[in-house]
Amino acid sequence: MSEIEEEKTFRKLIKRIAKATLATAIVGAFWLFLWILLSVFAVFPEYLTFFAILAWATLFFTFAIRVSEDTIYKYCFIIARAFFLIIYLAYATNCGILTLNFMDFQLTVEFVPLLALMIAINLLAIARGLLQAIEFVSQSPKD
Amino acid sequence: MRQTIRALGWIIAILWICTLLLPITVAFSLIKLFESKAVGVQEPTVSFSNGNFSMSAPFHINNTGFYDLSDIGISIQIGRKNKTISTSSRLLPNVPAGTMVNSSCDISVSLEEMVSKDRELLINDTDLNVSVSPRFRVAYIIAFGFSMSFAVQWGAPFYNLTISDVAYDNVSQKFSMWVSFDNHAVYPVNGSLLVMLYNDIGEHIGSATQDVNVPSETPFQTFFELTIDRLKMTRNGVVRLYFGGTQILEKEWELS
Repeated sequence: MSEIEEEKTFRKLIKRIAKATLATAIVGAFWLFLWILLSVFAVFPEYLTFFAILAWATLFFTFAIRVSEDTIYKYCFIIARAFFLIIYLAYATNCGILTLNFMDFQLTVEFVPLLALMIAINLLAIARGLLQAIEFVSQSPKD
Repeated sequence: MRQTIRALGWIIAILWICTLLLPITVAFSLIKLFESKAVGVQEPTVSFSNGNFSMSAPFHINNTGFYDLSDIGISIQIGRKNKTISTSSRLLPNVPAGTMVNSSCDISVSLEEMVSKDRELLINDTDLNVSVSPRFRVAYIIAFGFSMSFAVQWGAPFYNLTISDVAYDNVSQKFSMWVSFDNHAVYPVNGSLLVMLYNDIGEHIGSATQDVNVPSETPFQTFFELTIDRLKMTRNGVVRLYFGGTQILEKEWELS
């Protein structure tokens, strides 16, 4: 590889990282806004840790997907994100039943149909990711 | 394949928007519902008659929100010292958006049931643990349930139930005694009070009935006179007191 080509690749990589960082920053700003909103109204204080894990995982996947643009890994990350969301949403929401206790008062919110819809969306995302990966492989030039 | 991927992308985007918008609109609907004081409970009425204790609390739900309310129900559990005395649950019809439903929450316990679970409630004042759990589903998708526990002071309807001045007149063959109690309950005690007398070998020797009507927070005293066969009469025995067909007291008696 010539020096010029090496420099081109390096520039491409820097550009891609910059783009990924920008996209992650935008997504991060959105999560931060949600975090502040939840903290101010003190809605579900027990679930803020779960929320933080979800936010950090989403940021990681956003960055990883953007950085791995034009590679097969992008689709691997898309599928991994959908898998993570299915498992994590079911686990963190106790399969769609949240319970809050305040002294002698208990509030239960049950949203199993909504969780089922979220899981269905993520299954569709997995299917889409697989199709995208197949299409990407079929279009890639063979070595 | 590209078109399939694009279609899937659109479907996923639309479904995510719907999934995220639904809880937000449900929250706004609930805020609207509670801001307008659409749910109201009237003062409960309590009664105690013919051995049945009943409480009724009328309430209304005026659905001013955007979505239908379904699976509306309320459960009430009354207990004392981790022992359940009574449970009651009621399921209400659906309340479509923009409509109003009137109903009442009723709880009824027979004296017999109450005595079998906790006899102390009849003769001693105590604190009862009441657990109320209302629940409802908004837009047929998101369900909310609340559970609150609080203590309620229970006033015994037969507080300090006493049998005194037991006497027997050999000439007239009359057995006499006084029965007294204080009605500490918030409701009047209406019904028949039955006294059954047994001798020392457990043989039934006489009985008498009186209709009583004791207002709330009122002491009560009554005199019972029973005609007893002299041959069956003994120096001591057992007296049983029944109210509305339920035994509320068993005590040994002895002539002085």
